[in-house]
Amino acid sequence: MPEMGVFLLATQAMAAPGELLNLALNAGAIAPEGAVLVAMLATLLVDLAGEQAAARWVPPICYAGLGTALVLLAQQWNAPLEPSFLGAFLADNLAIAFRAVVALSTLLSLLISWRYAEQSGAPIGEYAAILLAATLGAMLLCGSTDLVSVFVSLETLSVASYLLAGYMKRDARSSEAALKYLLVGSAAAAVFLYGASLLYGLSGTTSLQAIGIALLTSPTPLAALSLVFVLATVAFKIAAVPFHQWTPDVYEGSPTPVVAFLSVGSKAAGFALALRLLVGCFGAFDTQWKLLFTVLAVLSMTLGNVVALAQTSMKRMLAYSSIGQAGFVMIGLVCGTEDGFAAMVLYMAAYLFMNLGAFACIILFSIRTGSDRISDYAGLYQKDPLITLGLSLCLLSLGGIPPMLGFFGKIYLFFAGWADHQYLLVVVGLVTSVVSIYYYISVIKMMVVKEPKEASDVVKSYPSIQWSTIGMPPLRIALVGCVVVTAVGGILSNPLFQWANSAVAGTPLLQEAIALGSQRSIG
Amino acid sequence: MTIATSTELICFLVLGAVVVLGSLGVVLLGNIVYSAFLLGGVFMAVAGLYLLLNASFVAAAQVLVYVGAVNVLILFAIMLVNKREDLKPIEGLPIRRLLSGGVCAGLFVLFFRVVITTPWAVPGPAAIGVGATERIGEHLFTDYLLPFELASVLLLMAMIGAIVLARRDVLEVDVGTGDAVNQGLIEKARTPLLVDKSTP
Repeated sequence: MPEMGVFLLATQAMAAPGELLNLALNAGAIAPEGAVLVAMLATLLVDLAGEQAAARWVPPICYAGLGTALVLLAQQWNAPLEPSFLGAFLADNLAIAFRAVVALSTLLSLLISWRYAEQSGAPIGEYAAILLAATLGAMLLCGSTDLVSVFVSLETLSVASYLLAGYMKRDARSSEAALKYLLVGSAAAAVFLYGASLLYGLSGTTSLQAIGIALLTSPTPLAALSLVFVLATVAFKIAAVPFHQWTPDVYEGSPTPVVAFLSVGSKAAGFALALRLLVGCFGAFDTQWKLLFTVLAVLSMTLGNVVALAQTSMKRMLAYSSIGQAGFVMIGLVCGTEDGFAAMVLYMAAYLFMNLGAFACIILFSIRTGSDRISDYAGLYQKDPLITLGLSLCLLSLGGIPPMLGFFGKIYLFFAGWADHQYLLVVVGLVTSVVSIYYYISVIKMMVVKEPKEASDVVKSYPSIQWSTIGMPPLRIALVGCVVVTAVGGILSNPLFQWANSAVAGTPLLQEAIALGSQRSIG
Repeated sequence: MTIATSTELICFLVLGAVVVLGSLGVVLLGNIVYSAFLLGGVFMAVAGLYLLLNASFVAAAQVLVYVGAVNVLILFAIMLVNKREDLKPIEGLPIRRLLSGGVCAGLFVLFFRVVITTPWAVPGPAAIGVGATERIGEHLFTDYLLPFELASVLLLMAMIGAIVLARRDVLEVDVGTGDAVNQGLIEKARTPLLVDKSTP
């Protein structure tokens, strides 16, 4: 294909690598990942000094590493774009936004996990190290522009997630969750590899951009087949129906802080991968993948929200609700307009705060009572106003009640969908939102409306509230921080809107897709 | 047809037959030890296919990694778990087998059709033979530098995780407070999956 010669990325894969030695590496683009890596290694070294030293020093090291990563990410914002590592990585604004969501979700998950891990007797040094490795993989996945780096970072994220899911060795359900996740995840990885090898066979290169160009010139049935394979992996990562079967069991069995990370960080990385692969690489199959994703979104919203109605375990309910939430985000992906992409980014950021706020509350409740059954929350407002208030606000926001942050995120998604004539998706989204409000409110009703004599046994024997134990202050900071952002962020959401819009505006990949889409609608 | 091409064709047919029959045996045989040894045979045959493609380095790596490490590991795992246990018969097994067989056959027909209808760019780029090792090394340190380095993080993390999962000692005391570990967090009775009768 001679016309590909003009593209630098395409030539790199074909040229003799010796010539590549003269090109700039631009390794500064992965400086935030470097900070996370240094924190991970420091955590492992400190852990050698014993559990006491680890409990003392691991948290500050993790905060420092992730904080540095966030600062470095902020500095990269709107920086001039140059592909780094010879086309393996690109730090455009989209990547920076999703990497920030991943890093922030890890930071918050770590804040809420120290007490839980210590109280359940899990060694926290290795826990933090594995979680940081998962973060590293997820962050690199958000910016990978090459099939090989996509696969290796995807595997880093997945293997770390399997290990974290099985971290509670004494709990049989945790081991079961890890095993199920490992088996299904390995199958998904194998399917991705098969699809990727087909793509390489068709185009002769592993660069996503070059593959996209090659597919434009020769859309064959084989390319459509590889689209299906790649799409299955993406759908597995974001837990879209019908690739969701692992989600409820894994979420129920895994340690709760791990679920918090999986439901936000891992999902954000999955959406970034979806954007890179589908928008960046399968532009030639625009109609096909949008149709497939419409089906996935409708199924996810319907099944996730309807099955969540029947759950009695809080974690399982949040698992199904997260399937439904992923369905909402997919509306933005299907639109493919400027507003659609911006709404995706905005909703991921909003989801980060409201979901982690909800998880902070249920972790605090399970630390104090050892239970995660919804019926055990009955009458909680008498004993623990903070959990009641925080959980109510976060659940209302997840349901999309104004004036919370989730309402504005959801309304923006629906607005973008309506503007792009995705009437089916928007109507299904609206109906299932109402369904979701029902089960979120029934939890709140359980906590608030019950009389003191109707309170559950667990709440009747509720321990006195103490914040002085080691690991509790970070949990309180995370809880209050998430709840405040969820509650106030809705009223002051303008900076977030601008941030999401400039994330889309500063990403050439998305701009090209938007320009192409608007041309098509005019023509 | 020259002697070279016909030899190549015969070798390809033999290796292909070994791969197909071997993998069928891996899946269908009841005894897991036979499956494991057949898997080794399949890996060897795949290495032979790489040799036919003039990729000797990849063939050697295939033998070293898959036969030498992965397959031996599988055999070790089988030998260590040397307990004969009669599993509970699965309900409706023949129907399930039939269904999965149907799905696999459908997939096979789909792939077959797609592969023969695709206009492949044959012959592909010429193999570089013995220069391949050098070329792979150059790639690893130029355009695949990032995944190469990330793989080291992946291996480190997998090693630590394997040690954490495999070691016997779990902490008995809460490091923060010095109290005994709270079993309430981890030892919960399994709750019914969908509807709980006890809730009012």
